[in-house]
Amino acid sequence: MRSMKNSVVVAGLAIAGLALGACGGGTGAGNAGGAGGSTGGEEVKTIKLVAAEYSKDHTKAFWDAFAKAYKEKTGYTLEVQVVSWDNIDQQSSTMIQNNQAPDILNLNAYASYAKDGLLYDSDAVLPASVKSDILDTFVKYGTYDGKFYGFPDLSSARAFFYNKALFKQAGINEPPKTWAELEADAKKITALGGGNVGYALPLGPEESQGEFSMWLFNNGGTWKDGGKWTINSDKNVETLAFLKKLTDAKLTQNNPARTNRADAFDLFKSGKAGMVIGFSPLAADLDKDKKVDYGVAPFPTNDGSESKTFGVTDYLMAFKKPGNEKAVKAFYELYYQPDQVNTFIKAEGFLPVTKSGVEAFAGETKLKVYLDTLPNAQLTPTDDPTWDKVKLAVQQNLGAAMTGDPKAVLDKLQQTAENGG
Amino acid sequence: MRFASAMTERTTVTPDPAAAAGSGDPGSRMPSRPSRRRRAGRIGQVHPLVALLWLAPALALILGVVLYPAIKLFDASRGEYSITGLRKGDAGWDNYAKVLAHPDLGTVLLNTVVWVVAVVAVTIVIGLALAQFLVKPFPGRRFVRWAVIIPWAASLIITSQLFVLLYDYNYGIINHVLQGLHLISTPIDFLGNDSWTMFSMVVVGVFVSLPFTIFVFIAGLGAIPDDVMEAATVDGASPWQRYWNITLPLMRPALMIATVLNVIYVFNSFPIIYTLNDRNPGYLHDTTITFMYKLAFKSQEKDVGMSAAAGIFNVLLILVVVAIYLKIINWREETSR
Repeated sequence: MRSMKNSVVVAGLAIAGLALGACGGGTGAGNAGGAGGSTGGEEVKTIKLVAAEYSKDHTKAFWDAFAKAYKEKTGYTLEVQVVSWDNIDQQSSTMIQNNQAPDILNLNAYASYAKDGLLYDSDAVLPASVKSDILDTFVKYGTYDGKFYGFPDLSSARAFFYNKALFKQAGINEPPKTWAELEADAKKITALGGGNVGYALPLGPEESQGEFSMWLFNNGGTWKDGGKWTINSDKNVETLAFLKKLTDAKLTQNNPARTNRADAFDLFKSGKAGMVIGFSPLAADLDKDKKVDYGVAPFPTNDGSESKTFGVTDYLMAFKKPGNEKAVKAFYELYYQPDQVNTFIKAEGFLPVTKSGVEAFAGETKLKVYLDTLPNAQLTPTDDPTWDKVKLAVQQNLGAAMTGDPKAVLDKLQQTAENGG
Repeated sequence: MRFASAMTERTTVTPDPAAAAGSGDPGSRMPSRPSRRRRAGRIGQVHPLVALLWLAPALALILGVVLYPAIKLFDASRGEYSITGLRKGDAGWDNYAKVLAHPDLGTVLLNTVVWVVAVVAVTIVIGLALAQFLVKPFPGRRFVRWAVIIPWAASLIITSQLFVLLYDYNYGIINHVLQGLHLISTPIDFLGNDSWTMFSMVVVGVFVSLPFTIFVFIAGLGAIPDDVMEAATVDGASPWQRYWNITLPLMRPALMIATVLNVIYVFNSFPIIYTLNDRNPGYLHDTTITFMYKLAFKSQEKDVGMSAAAGIFNVLLILVVVAIYLKIINWREETSR
């Protein structure tokens, strides 16, 4: 009896194993172009969305409600799979390897996918009224090779956060306007002792390109200018050298090159950091904790000129699959309805991507500092597929400048970019 | 007629049709020798097709979850992939060449050796001491043994994340205690300082490897007959002599098993290194396993094909270890006869 029981278990496992194998294999990894044309095939009634998890509480709730509305209004079914940010690169890559791309993928990059010819452009799936409603900045950065592929789902803009209590203790009356003032303020706060840190500088691999973007934009620098990479421009070298100076003078937290953004935020939330670059979700956390009395201001510039902000959007891109064009178009038509897109953005604590959204959010006083800067926000060159690799190189290598030579680090990154990643 | 009688004789000798149709094992046709071994062989003997039927689930399992993925892995290692994961064409052996030419390969291999040797060696030494302690009867021994299992039962990711918090520079309890005891004046950056990172990871590796090792050793110690020990005591052997000349040699099988299995586990360990090293850029503290992962998903290469090639190298490395393990198992069977 016992051996029979065991056999049944083994047989069950074997079947499960085979099923898993089959799932992993799918139709097999075809070579380029395997994604198929947009016109062929029967019309698809069910499409799949792979969405990134912005928050445990809201993301899944929103997409489930959205799927229900989508079914009611259009008759199509939307399968929703929510994936954490830690895993989404790996999952999306695996799906495409196995020729099992979702119909719609929510990610922080799109240009490489457009380059590989996997995506629909706006002419095919985006209603004209929606396209004209999306903020011009985002249309510009969502356009690859003359066509608009990167449809933004939400956006964020960075701003300068400072700890009012520490500022008061250190005798500082207002947030800095220039880098020199920032450095002086950081000195005063660090001098308070007790583990207080002037400026929390995250240059670890999580998102060092974000931190550096904010600094270099406010020194008049760029990553790429008019088709040419400018990573090692004099302005950028000056910017990175300034960050090294802050680090060497111990005005930052310990080991900035090995600090991820989340750790820097934790430091600020614990009330130990005087200044940090944050965004609206950090403000939401701080408001919830009610521990730190903080202020939000435009980021100081090197020479005191007008501040610029670093904007970020994520994308909802549409994969070309036989017969899914109508269902995908219906998806975007519904998503960009103000009551959908703005509900999502509001729940997640981010910023709008449409002109109508900016108007709808205008009443939110807390968001004013970001909204004012949003239409002129500068983005990283997300419209260039090379950036998808350069970004990874920056994340892995930028921190090395804190213990090495800023110019050499940027020269190497420039070379990576010029070689196409 | 002789032929016919032979036939009848045969059928009467081997009434089991399965056995008759089965292999030509002469032993089963010699009923005169009353050997236990022969009888066991006959009972276990079935028609090959029947055998295949019973083996089918196991074979399907091996084909489905071992062979098929291995073939896919090899296939992937010979492909050229876009950063999105799209296969663009065939790459021949380029991916292998790129892995071998990778500037950080030396660091990664050295890290792997340091990691495996340090974790396994320290685990064995501490495991031996703790096992010796846990076989002695003392009040509450059962609870201590339970407590020892806990690191084994907890998920590696959770354990690693807990250690990240313990090691933290700003609020970690380890730094807090060390500063409280005035052993250090400024906190130690356990995970961010290059001279400490590997040490900090090895500590966690040892912590999670200990339970299994200790229980292998407890079993090994339990198998040592008491009379040998008593005889040695009567002959006037000192405790240290008894340990060195009796306990350790008799523990050899347990030591071998613990070492080889730990080498395999530790070599394949992904979560500890990935979690504790996640703030550090580049490959400075990666082993071949995390190197493979980063090649596919995190590094600027972001190349599935290269990662698959690295995966093939990993399989080859671990095959060597498994071969050694099988050899040891053989050795055990021979000695236990």
